[in-house]
Amino acid sequence: MHSLCRSAGALFLLVLTSLFFTDSLAAQTPQQTALQVDQLLAEETGSAPAASASDEVFLRRAFLDLVGQLPTSEEVLAFSLDPGTGKRVRLVQQLLDDDDFGRNWGRYWRDVIMYRRTDDRAGLAQGSLESFLVEQLNNDTSWSSIARQLITAAGDVREDGRNGLIMAQGGRPEETVAEVSRIFLGIQIQCAQCHDHPFDRWTREQFHQLAAFFPRVAVRPQMTPVRSFIVVASDTPPRQRRQNNNNRFVGSLEHYMPDLDDPTAQGTLMQPEFFATGQTLQTGSSDAARRESLADWMTDPENPWFARALVNRVWSELVGEGFYEPVDDIGPDRQCSAAKTMALLCDQLVVNDYDLKWLIETILSTRVYQSAAADRRAPDELPFQANYAQRLRADQLFNSLLCVFDIPDPTPQRAAANYGRASRSTPRALFQRTFGYDPSTRRDEVGGSIPQALAMMNSSFVNQQISARPGRLLGDLMAEVRSDRQLVEELYIKVLSRQPSREELKLCLDYRRSVPDRAEAFEDILWALINHADFIYRN
Amino acid sequence: MKDRNQMLNRSGTDRRGFLAAMAASGAAVSGLDIRAALGSQAALLSNKPRACILLWMQGGPSQFETLSPKPGQSSGGETQAIASSVAGIQVAENMPRVAAAMKDICLIRSMNSKEGSHPRASYLVHTGYVPTATIKYPTIGSQIAFQLGDKESQLPSFVRVGQIRNGAGAGMLGVDYDPFLMADARRTPDNTTLTTSDDRYRRRLSLLGQLHDVHAEGEQQVSNHRKVYGKASKMVLSPQMKAFDLSEETASIRQSYGESSFASGCLLARRLVETGVSCVEVAVGNWDTHQDNFSRSSELCQQMDQPYAFLLQDLKQRGLLESTLVVWMGEFGRTPRINSRGGRDHYPRAYNVALAGAGVHGGQVIGTTDASGSTVTDQPVDVPDLLRTIFQALRVDADLEHMSSVGRPVPVVEGGSVVERVFTG
Repeated sequence: MHSLCRSAGALFLLVLTSLFFTDSLAAQTPQQTALQVDQLLAEETGSAPAASASDEVFLRRAFLDLVGQLPTSEEVLAFSLDPGTGKRVRLVQQLLDDDDFGRNWGRYWRDVIMYRRTDDRAGLAQGSLESFLVEQLNNDTSWSSIARQLITAAGDVREDGRNGLIMAQGGRPEETVAEVSRIFLGIQIQCAQCHDHPFDRWTREQFHQLAAFFPRVAVRPQMTPVRSFIVVASDTPPRQRRQNNNNRFVGSLEHYMPDLDDPTAQGTLMQPEFFATGQTLQTGSSDAARRESLADWMTDPENPWFARALVNRVWSELVGEGFYEPVDDIGPDRQCSAAKTMALLCDQLVVNDYDLKWLIETILSTRVYQSAAADRRAPDELPFQANYAQRLRADQLFNSLLCVFDIPDPTPQRAAANYGRASRSTPRALFQRTFGYDPSTRRDEVGGSIPQALAMMNSSFVNQQISARPGRLLGDLMAEVRSDRQLVEELYIKVLSRQPSREELKLCLDYRRSVPDRAEAFEDILWALINHADFIYRN
Repeated sequence: MKDRNQMLNRSGTDRRGFLAAMAASGAAVSGLDIRAALGSQAALLSNKPRACILLWMQGGPSQFETLSPKPGQSSGGETQAIASSVAGIQVAENMPRVAAAMKDICLIRSMNSKEGSHPRASYLVHTGYVPTATIKYPTIGSQIAFQLGDKESQLPSFVRVGQIRNGAGAGMLGVDYDPFLMADARRTPDNTTLTTSDDRYRRRLSLLGQLHDVHAEGEQQVSNHRKVYGKASKMVLSPQMKAFDLSEETASIRQSYGESSFASGCLLARRLVETGVSCVEVAVGNWDTHQDNFSRSSELCQQMDQPYAFLLQDLKQRGLLESTLVVWMGEFGRTPRINSRGGRDHYPRAYNVALAGAGVHGGQVIGTTDASGSTVTDQPVDVPDLLRTIFQALRVDADLEHMSSVGRPVPVVEGGSVVERVFTG
């Protein structure tokens, strides 16, 4: 498939051609596809990525992007001294095999789902959702299978993480399908919930036809000693019940599109229909038939949006700029900044059975990923000329602090298993509250906040850890390293995964000389490095 | 999309200066629907910045045990009514001091909405919208901070005291307008106490600044980072941080507010508003009295009655009540029916909100219900009406539109109309 057409009529053709060619396409290695991406991007956009990032920058970037933490000082030194060609490829493969890969990306997807929750009680499902995602990703489960499990789930939300997406929306059909469409297809069809969208093709009717896949689902509180909720689905007519304050404890057999002129009326009965492919089910179909069919149709290669949404999101997360922006607002009426490249990646992703690791390794092998970091481009500049610096997500930042201070994750194991109220007060959870952000937000719109700066500068956690007492990082290093110059270098490698520049070294040594007490001087230097923009961003 | 957003932001942040200029010249501006939002000419002449103190009754207080007793009705339960300082207005016996302050309070007894679950209802009354996954609607305090907040202030424009669940944040307005959170008014806010001497802290900042100076890469991110650190440092080093220190108050003032944590919150709110903070939200709860409604409501009123009443008096004595709106509200009311556990369940169809200050005409009741308190019978007030009225009192433009991340313009309040009688009596 060599051209991506965006007009409505051609979409159908495109689906056909991609079907036709998919079978004959041979699966490529990430490096093969990456090479093609480099060529195609240059042809298509005219952009020439900036010079390759230094090994230091690449190493820190790959660690944060793949395993969500910093390399150790030893890893920094070993990587910079390794003269071998292909060391970047080897590093990426090694990190993809690490269990922290699943942990890092599981937390990312947990945030994608949970930051849009419309019910704070979904916090109860956060831990189980994370565990589910971590396990799936580490087991190389295909993205289509993960999507299917999240769409067809039922059960206790604390015990079974597959219920997380439905719980996040309180089991309400409209909200749930809006999220299913946004996350898995990148299409914000819910704008049509109340009226036909002013600049989209989707109609209000199509939105409610999508909601008709979920009417039998509801979320009910669990009356057990441990507070929880249960996602339920029933094919028997619900008992007549009195008005219950707009809570949705039981589903209904069918979905009705509300009458805008008369909100108290029952509305119009909706037949389940998947807007992207036009496939339909009869009314009266069972819940299992509805949700399984939706999962089938959504993840079928015939529906191009499933692959595009994933490619766009992961590319954007890794390169700092999406083909479409924001990441979750794509669709036939949106501008794709490099349609052929996108099509190439999608075709190969399908051949590789929606393998997330394949996609990530491919993107990490491209020239644009590996290029030096730069400021976000102006709208009139060419896309994909550099890898944009991004603020660390809360978990990445917290992990980085743990790496610098050489301390274990203070999250108690018990809380991790019991993820109820307890986990909300762990240091990680507190940190998440201050530093967390919705990962679907365009990255240049994610700025720092005053409480974040205060936590980094003044929190007792940071200030205890930077202390030069024996047993702490700095105390031990000071005893071991007598030379001030060497100590500054050690700290730079430890905190920023790089050597200081000449000016930086000079500034730190001048500072050291201006403060009589060595311990005090180095505590201040360590404090400054922890609060440095380079620590809080990934370049 | 971003540019449009910035443009809208600019029109919002300039509003303060714009208002001042208008007030000075008395000029009328056409083409903008701003005169309606500005209200009476008299208020224009008052150049004190408006502020809001939102007393958040978390969990949904029973109207029958607070501001709308129904003695003699089966719905009224055991709660007795007492006279207030305004002839014809009675409140529950649990609120004697608020009864005495009724001259300043406008009581709305005809609030109604459809949302009877805590998360959705709390979100609705804080934002005017039901929650959606697509658009993060800004909460009242963030809207106020956006339009009224002083950009140059060393303190945050919006402070929240106590754990408020599902109260939303700045949402689409961005972190600059997020509430500054305090778990407890009696403790200094998190991470604002220096862990070193002032001198050493300044030295550290200066070293950090120099290291950023020589930094070549990623200029935009470094300059943003420095901006935030500049603001945060200015804040912790500011003499205005004293506003958070309640020990500066005399013993007699502290006693007048009372002992409870909510009392400290009210006192802190007054101190912050005095210092120029635009919105302070103080929570007390849990009012979710599904069991033992009568004893629990009475206990909660004991924590709430005195500080609320004295806050009004204190603001008045300091000349701040005319520019400060004090809102008393929860997410809904409670059922007229008393359940088998002596409790009342959620009831959004007829509940109460109380307003005072900032031009609100006190000593009046708006709206009526039937004798049992089940149904609003006159002057129903919906959530958008209430929010419009609140924003009107504060001179916050409720028709200003913000751009959502998917490019949809979202007005501060959609629909609804100002309850004019709140201001005219």
